[in-house]
Amino acid sequence: MGYILGIYRRLISVQIRSQMQYRFPFIVELVVTGFVTISGFVTLAFVLQRFGSIGGWKLGEVAFLYGLVETSFGIMDMIFSGFDPGNFGRQTRLGRFDQLLLRPVNITVQVLGSEFIIRRLGRIAQGFVILILALTMAHINWTFGKILFLPVVIASQIAFFGGLFIIGATISFWTLESIEIVNIFTYGGTEMMSYPMQIYPNWLRDFFSYILPAIFLNYFPALYFLGKPDPLHFPTFAPFLAPVAGFGVLAIALAFWNYGIRHYQSTGT
Amino acid sequence: MTPIIQVSDLHKHFKLSKHHRGFSGAFRNLFTREYRLVRAVDGISFNIEPGELVGYIGPNGAGKSTTIKMLAGLLVPTSGKLVINNHIPWRDRKNYVAGIGAVFGQRTTLWWDLPVIESLDLLQYIYRIPAERFHRNLDEFRQLLDLDAFIDTPVRSLSLGQRMRADLCAAMLHDPVILFLDEPTIGLDVVAKERIRQFIVHINRERSTTILLTTHDLSDVEKLCERVMIIDHGQLLYDGALEILRDRFGGKRKLVVDFATEYEHVDVEGAQVVNREGLRVTYEFERGAMTASNLIGSLSSQYRIHDLEVREPDIEVTVRRIYEERLLEK
Repeated sequence: MGYILGIYRRLISVQIRSQMQYRFPFIVELVVTGFVTISGFVTLAFVLQRFGSIGGWKLGEVAFLYGLVETSFGIMDMIFSGFDPGNFGRQTRLGRFDQLLLRPVNITVQVLGSEFIIRRLGRIAQGFVILILALTMAHINWTFGKILFLPVVIASQIAFFGGLFIIGATISFWTLESIEIVNIFTYGGTEMMSYPMQIYPNWLRDFFSYILPAIFLNYFPALYFLGKPDPLHFPTFAPFLAPVAGFGVLAIALAFWNYGIRHYQSTGT
Repeated sequence: MTPIIQVSDLHKHFKLSKHHRGFSGAFRNLFTREYRLVRAVDGISFNIEPGELVGYIGPNGAGKSTTIKMLAGLLVPTSGKLVINNHIPWRDRKNYVAGIGAVFGQRTTLWWDLPVIESLDLLQYIYRIPAERFHRNLDEFRQLLDLDAFIDTPVRSLSLGQRMRADLCAAMLHDPVILFLDEPTIGLDVVAKERIRQFIVHINRERSTTILLTTHDLSDVEKLCERVMIIDHGQLLYDGALEILRDRFGGKRKLVVDFATEYEHVDVEGAQVVNREGLRVTYEFERGAMTASNLIGSLSSQYRIHDLEVREPDIEVTVRRIYEERLLEK
């Protein structure tokens, strides 16, 4: 275990040192991703100013959803960059995955250590600022349980999005073209999760409840933190399913990933 | 001695989806899946003893890469037996790859933005090489491969030859018992090729590392390997000594003679004149029908000779003949 953690630490350190050599793209992306995140939020703020609320959610409450997802997704996008489907697919076509298979180390750890994009800190920071802003605006009744549960929700979301990345990377063993479909769920999913789920049509909400359980990762926990009633009449423990949903998706993704590696080794595409 | 590499009746078949062309073809691709079976490796058997240096050659698409990928544990065979260094490569990947080294010519195992030496340090940790052994190996390879000039340079800035030297060093640091080399000299100039060949010979002789190398460049095989395997259409066409290959399929040998004085007729029994330029005459003679010493003997009894040279047929020509004329087809 110490050995594998040592490998991970060293691989990440290589990535960070490599990226430090290219200062210009680093600064550009810090600024650009920050701008995208902030402008998304500003748009949201203008819309809410015009209409007052979305489905009864005021600006601070929607900002809570938005900031939480942005922060988690940003952290995930940094930690799981090695599994970023498009990039992973290209690298595999170039024979990079074969090089990893030739080393006597767990393959998942090697892929995790093959990329660690610290530029994502820009996005994470913006998401965090919005989250702090939301916490001051939304008047949350903090309890000890809520304080403990917030990092659990963030970790669950990271696991959830990471799982989607891993599923996308695995699909790239078969095809590069269909990766866009996974991206719809990954990036579309984060968009969906930034708004209160009750505003969506039933079929869409059902999909994100029972097929891809995104609703348990942001919407229900947010109800709990904000002390809002549940218009969808789910069981009262629904907010606490976040870790089950998040880490469940990650576990399924890892099983699919291992299946994909076996497929790759039998086809060599 | 038991063979270190045992391959028997190895098959690797791929299913390739058929693509229809044009707009209506693209539409058909979307809904129908037709497959074509490609037998990339179609029943190959061979053994390699510890310490052998074997050349594996064949035209493009013959199945060389597929074979070496199976041997290195990257691909799972469709059927057949594969035991290498007491492991089944694909089933026991982590333990197996710890005991082998591999260099795939066009790709590097090193970290692109890192100075060479830092990549090597990282590999020490990955392969858990004891410090003392690591430094002993590193010192030796630094010298043999002349790494010092660029050991602090990031890999992305290396020339192809330098990168290949660094990769060879990286592949040997953990004292693998087997080394797989896929096109180790591809794209290199003569000097770089020579240095790499010397290194390959050195580790094979001094460390008894078993080496299997694929190459396009038959001079690699000629300079390095006593044994050569030829693959085409997924099947082994030849497995044996390079000498015997030359004897069987090499065709005619040549004798180039510089006469001391001009002769009107320079005919000799058992050989044909194929070229005549002033005092220099080139004869061709059939292997087996005539030995070089007999020919030289009868020439020198008839004429005054200044100098002479026996030319063996070019191995490249020999192998090309084998591919083209399908001389070894069963």
